[in-house]
Amino acid sequence: MKLTEFDIRISKENVCRLIQANPDSSMYQEIMAELQEMLPAAYEKLEPTALLEFGDFEAYADMIEEEGIEEALYGIITVGEEIGSWSTQLFREGNYLGGMLADAIADDCLYQMDEAISEAAIGMCRERQRGIVRRLEAPVDIPMSIQKKAYDITDAGRQAGIEIKGSYMYSPVKTVCQVYILDKDTTRYHAEHDCGRCENATCKMRNISVVTITVKSGKGEQKIRGRKKDTLLESLRANNLFLPAVCAGRGVCGKCRVRVLKGEVPATETDLRFFSQQEIEEGYRLACRSYPESDCTILTQDGEAEGFYVEAPEKDAESLLPDTEKAYGIAADIGTTTVAMQLVELQTGKTADVYTTVNRQRAYGADVISRIEAAGRGGKEAMTGIIREILQEGIEALSVNGTILIRQMVIGGNTTMIHLLMGYFCETLGVYPFRPVNIETIHTTDKELFGKQEKHLDVTVCPGISTFVGGDIVAGLYALDFQKREKVCVLIDLGTNGELAIGNKERILTTSTAAGPAFEGGNILCGMGSVPGAICKVEIREGKAQIRTIGDAKARGICGTGVIDCVYELVGEGIVDETGLMEEPYFETGFPLSEDGQIRFCQKDVREFQLAKSAVRAGLETLILRYGISWEEIDKVYVAGGFGHKMDIHKAVGIGLFPAFCEEKVEAVGNTCLQGAVKYLTQKDASEAVERLVEVSEEIGLSGDKNFQEFYMENMYFL
Amino acid sequence: MALIQEISELLQKGKAKNVKQLVQQALDENMDPKEILNDGLLSGMMTIGAKFKNNEVFVPEVLVAARAMNAGLTVLEPKLIEIGNEPAGKAVIGTVQGDLHDIGKNLVSMMLKGAGFEIHDLGVDVEPDVFIDKAEEIGADVICMSALLTTTMPKMQECIDRMKQRGVRDKYIVMIGGAPVNESFAQQIGADYYTADAASAAEVAKAAVQKTRGKTL
Repeated sequence: MKLTEFDIRISKENVCRLIQANPDSSMYQEIMAELQEMLPAAYEKLEPTALLEFGDFEAYADMIEEEGIEEALYGIITVGEEIGSWSTQLFREGNYLGGMLADAIADDCLYQMDEAISEAAIGMCRERQRGIVRRLEAPVDIPMSIQKKAYDITDAGRQAGIEIKGSYMYSPVKTVCQVYILDKDTTRYHAEHDCGRCENATCKMRNISVVTITVKSGKGEQKIRGRKKDTLLESLRANNLFLPAVCAGRGVCGKCRVRVLKGEVPATETDLRFFSQQEIEEGYRLACRSYPESDCTILTQDGEAEGFYVEAPEKDAESLLPDTEKAYGIAADIGTTTVAMQLVELQTGKTADVYTTVNRQRAYGADVISRIEAAGRGGKEAMTGIIREILQEGIEALSVNGTILIRQMVIGGNTTMIHLLMGYFCETLGVYPFRPVNIETIHTTDKELFGKQEKHLDVTVCPGISTFVGGDIVAGLYALDFQKREKVCVLIDLGTNGELAIGNKERILTTSTAAGPAFEGGNILCGMGSVPGAICKVEIREGKAQIRTIGDAKARGICGTGVIDCVYELVGEGIVDETGLMEEPYFETGFPLSEDGQIRFCQKDVREFQLAKSAVRAGLETLILRYGISWEEIDKVYVAGGFGHKMDIHKAVGIGLFPAFCEEKVEAVGNTCLQGAVKYLTQKDASEAVERLVEVSEEIGLSGDKNFQEFYMENMYFL
Repeated sequence: MALIQEISELLQKGKAKNVKQLVQQALDENMDPKEILNDGLLSGMMTIGAKFKNNEVFVPEVLVAARAMNAGLTVLEPKLIEIGNEPAGKAVIGTVQGDLHDIGKNLVSMMLKGAGFEIHDLGVDVEPDVFIDKAEEIGADVICMSALLTTTMPKMQECIDRMKQRGVRDKYIVMIGGAPVNESFAQQIGADYYTADAASAAEVAKAAVQKTRGKTL
């Protein structure tokens, strides 16, 4: 296909931007005027032409990361000879500005053609029933010799009078090559140029869409490359800088706030909702909604990623440094928020070392649903890469850089985490009927997971029960010996997914409730993870909050345990009534927790918490009902998770998370997933025991359950 | 003296016409053409080049200033030739064979001129021997090569190897630049200097020529 009809309207603003003529420069007006004068002649000289043809991709198939690509759409785009010669001539005459402007005009023309050509390319592919996987850029993605291939396929010599040099460069100079790789998935057409992948730093086009973002934080300063069409959050993420984005960048949670110190980052509607006029003027923005229009400097909040409280046991006191003579195994808990790994001496079961870190996938959303969505939008490979990298970092650290012998690794994690780890297709996890790709026990090796075979490590992934009740819960049940229990017990994981299990060795019923992240400080206005500075204790005396923070640091927000305390106190003081309504004057502004009033607990937070606690309690009630048992007959209620560990059980009962008479039965048990994985490493019959647990387990869904709905409404209030 | 200062300042503001007029006026007042050049035009360019490197001004300001310098030079050059003024150095510049990109090379050319160099711009797609022949012909101090492609970078090496073969490598300062090029590549192929931007290129070239001349004196 040959295209010669283009609606080119040179944008003076773009041209100025290309040559870095800023509107605040004293010469801007002069340059604009000169450009205006040049334009008529420029239009005469521009001869936009584009060629697009399909061709094979055989010789290059092995050079790209995608597999099985057989076909590509090749394009050659030129603005002709004249405009380039004009630029050269103007330079020769000493009219450097003119020469530069002519060059930039040519670039702007190419840029404008790009859009029309992408559209034409998509049209051609639609007709041929091909999807566009992505656009390749030489020499970043593919050797320059692809330009020769494109030249031959499009017959550019005859069709457009273009020449090609031995260096694969085209003449005229303002001629570019496009390669779209194709497959049969016609659901997506990723035809756009990706400047982020392109390393041509002197490319003038780059200035149109690429900005330098200087990121300042407590850790120092770093310059990254971002794209104007990406949000600040996306650009940060692409550069391995992870801000908390509890709501996965939907502009809801407000956790990704940054302060723009320099540069143009216009405030959005969302910003206006989150920030006061003064804050907007001070540069506060939500990174997930903001697009940089120029190079900018931003200040990010510190530390959230650093000190996450990760539930993992201490080293056994008597165990010395790992011994090179002994054999070890690693137990790993891949949590949605944190990852914990434990080095275990296989013979004795002793803990030799512990490694914990934040799950950096968090930048793709705090909960599994947002991760599944992000995976569907093309983030899957990145998230798979992140978790594999984290595990490798942990293995390196625990094996003391490979000096000690590690034989085995057992991994527990929820179904989504395991799917991401294995690189499975995640989309069915998020849509009815919520089918997982694979939840059986997985036996694999470090070679398969990480692509290198250094340690010959056998890796076992705990099986799950369903999409919603995964291997982390199975590991937890195993840790607590549910497979041996005669009496019925309950296991609650108070995390974002709120998994629940009830049963004994004969029969186990499980479910999960969309508790939301409120128990972890998510979706709470001033909520945060369990890090230094997070309020973890609240008492209200004479109408004033007395608080304690983790590490006794300056209060920066409130974490899950603080939230429970806070609600308990507010209800106890009558500031929040039994329906959850906050009394005046707090209804509008929230109840101040910190002395300066910066940290507040507001009406919306109370509501968020009500939804969460009611979901968990109603889930429990429904499970008990379906199991055909009463609270009285239940032997123990185990609360798992880092959060549960520090929870004030009395207060949790007080706000109605458990029935009051059950207080004695409730026990905090810490990270049961990790405990289960350790046990798996050291017990001979682990494999059968865990399989047995899965066999006797059954999941019930709550979404259509009438009883659940009733319990849910009943437990919404603080009675 | 004030007049020369004014030339430098107007040049920095890119006032081509005024610079031209004032250079003429200075000549009419029998001022030393060398002084007009060094303390007026070139000092103006040097100031703007330094500002550019400090990110105080951007490319357009430099372009406009250079154009003003060029306007002044058209008036001044005949006089300079008349008095036999020696340029700060002689440079042969071009984009290497197989490569047609010329903007970067043009900017370096412009800045070198602003540093008082006599420029022989060979354009684009320049064969190794053409660089050398020209340098030999005019008695150049510096050979500047530009390449914008990974596929054309090796031509720089080829040119240097060819210089060695012809036994003229030590006669010239070899400078290279372009997007895919860097310091370690320069070392690897045996070039004397790599610079990242046009303003630095001019500074480095000037200093290098002074150093070499100091040695030979």
